[in-house]
Amino acid sequence: MNFKLKLLVAGLALGFAAASQAADPIKIGVSGPFTGGSAPMGVSMRDGVKLAVAEINAKGGVLGRQLQIIERDDEAKNERGVQIAQELINKERVVATVGYINTGVALASQRFYQDAKIPVMNNVATGSIITKQFADQPENYIFRNSASDQIQSQMIIKEAVDNRKFKKVAILADSTNYGQLGREDLEKVLDKRGMKPVAVEKYNIKDVDMTAQLLKAKQAGADVVLTYGIGPELAQIANGMEKLGWKVPLIGSWTLSMANFIDNAGKNGNGTRMPQTFIQDASTPKRKAFIDAYVKAYNPPQGRMPSPVSAAQGYDSIYLLAAAIKQAGSTEGPKVKAALENLNEKVEGVVTSYSKPYSKDDHEAITADVTVFGEVKDGKVVQAK
Amino acid sequence: MEILLQLVFSGVALGMIYAVIAFGYQLTFATSGTLNFGQGESLMLGALVGLSLVGTIHGGPYMGYLLMIPLVIVFGALQGMLVEWIGVRPAIKIKSEFGWIMSTIALAIIFKNVAENIWGKDDLTFPSPLDSAPIQILGANVQPMQVAVVVGALAIMAVVELFNRKSIYGKAVVATANDRDAAGLMGINTGMVITFSYALSSAVAAFAGVLVAPLTLTGATMGASLGLKAFAVAIIGGLTSGVGVIVGGLILGIAETTTGYYVSTGYKEVPGLLLLLLVLAVKPSGLFGKAAIKKV
Repeated sequence: MNFKLKLLVAGLALGFAAASQAADPIKIGVSGPFTGGSAPMGVSMRDGVKLAVAEINAKGGVLGRQLQIIERDDEAKNERGVQIAQELINKERVVATVGYINTGVALASQRFYQDAKIPVMNNVATGSIITKQFADQPENYIFRNSASDQIQSQMIIKEAVDNRKFKKVAILADSTNYGQLGREDLEKVLDKRGMKPVAVEKYNIKDVDMTAQLLKAKQAGADVVLTYGIGPELAQIANGMEKLGWKVPLIGSWTLSMANFIDNAGKNGNGTRMPQTFIQDASTPKRKAFIDAYVKAYNPPQGRMPSPVSAAQGYDSIYLLAAAIKQAGSTEGPKVKAALENLNEKVEGVVTSYSKPYSKDDHEAITADVTVFGEVKDGKVVQAK
Repeated sequence: MEILLQLVFSGVALGMIYAVIAFGYQLTFATSGTLNFGQGESLMLGALVGLSLVGTIHGGPYMGYLLMIPLVIVFGALQGMLVEWIGVRPAIKIKSEFGWIMSTIALAIIFKNVAENIWGKDDLTFPSPLDSAPIQILGANVQPMQVAVVVGALAIMAVVELFNRKSIYGKAVVATANDRDAAGLMGINTGMVITFSYALSSAVAAFAGVLVAPLTLTGATMGASLGLKAFAVAIIGGLTSGVGVIVGGLILGIAETTTGYYVSTGYKEVPGLLLLLLVLAVKPSGLFGKAAIKKV
């Protein structure tokens, strides 16, 4: 290679380096389970995130830079979540991370972001404690735009006890962090009303027989079953009731809207109710545009989103974050966090429109007002009347 | 009393599923002293192939439930032969004591991954061939499909046993099981018999798969926990006894449902596993097993 050619190559290389410097994208981490029982939520969340990122990039990005997502499958496993957090922080150097479907994974992973002063936007995980894990520290980098278990458990009890006047409630929850923390929340709310559940039962992920749990609830005379779990096992509960020839209403956390519950429970799932922040129903132009774009881009079977709530919250989480980065005029964690805590711009999301969603002490964007009850009806979730 | 009966019925249905998979472990252990640790995956593949034939996921339904069963059994047999050919034969050839353990586990993981790619990672519903409304027996509710599982499991085990005892090919299997070297000297192609036992074992598992699929959910991960529990059943009942797996399966199944009700659902798997430990400590060949004398 002669000297001139070397010079040319060096020049080109430098040129490329400089060019990439100018358009350096803003990296945003996405961590969620894209395989396994909670995959419908993880995949929908990721797809919602991708839609929002594509829209923002088409309009020129944020601060003149494109958004780039770095997605990783945490398999709903705490240890995978931790590895991914470290990779995203230290190797990819993300500006913020959105995601977490599973409360356990969020609790195990987000301490690394807290230490690195990088904001985390929990867009699906619901454990009440998530945003309060570091509440005692002067700066809290954990935000959320999903309905916490605290909100959901209050809504569930209100629906079961106040609205539908059920007297004897049974609780069936899975043995994960999600199920057990949710069960605690439910029991707390019941306790405030001076009530005790007539049966509290536990089951494991992948259990195929719910006879013992359901029989206990039945023997205790339960007139409603409240659930905290994920799709496949919830379907086993609904189907197990049919096996026993015992039918009482099912009311539970929002996971009862997962496609893998609705499909596997079939007709046994009809009438099941759960709190929802978003229902696949084009009730506003913004929602219609979002649903149409989602169905067009990902073509889900029968045009039904696997988990509409996750997709909508994933979509909104990016818009909230983008607004904060814009306001901060910077991608530095502490500045973005400060901007999130004092958002001036009103952010139009598909779940709701957010005006000042967060403050220094309140890192929850969703309130009970924007959450409605969904009901399973012939393979679809519709708004309960 | 009704409650107990209900628990026993559920336990029996669950236990027979375990028993029929455990029976598959026995078949290969008898002829070759090896086990297919991918037995749960054979069941899963059988169920998923069956679902493709009778369900709508791959453009079907192509046929009814009964017509699908022989096809799934043939598929299971071929899959078992593949496992034997790739995973077990090389280990037997070099008289490796442990090679087959790793290779059957490795194959099980590969089968699971392949299934995840073909059928996806979600659990799917298997259309039930029988009405799912329960019938009343002595005050307890039983689904027709649960009865079918028990009958089907007993039938397939009876067929295989009859075949082994009555037919000339079956006698070759029994001869190989008794003494592989002597059988070889008598002109029995023991290699072929071992391949055949693997085919039979996976065919039984595949059949069990389509039998239980309407009761549980069908998916790439359905085999793992069933395969493991069935292994416990095979150890409790003894790896050499046909009656053993049925009794072992019933014990484990009923222990699970009754403990779940009378003690706590959080502990429902504990008594069965305690029994497993007890059996291993007191009678390692299993409740009904013949003590094996290892010739060195």
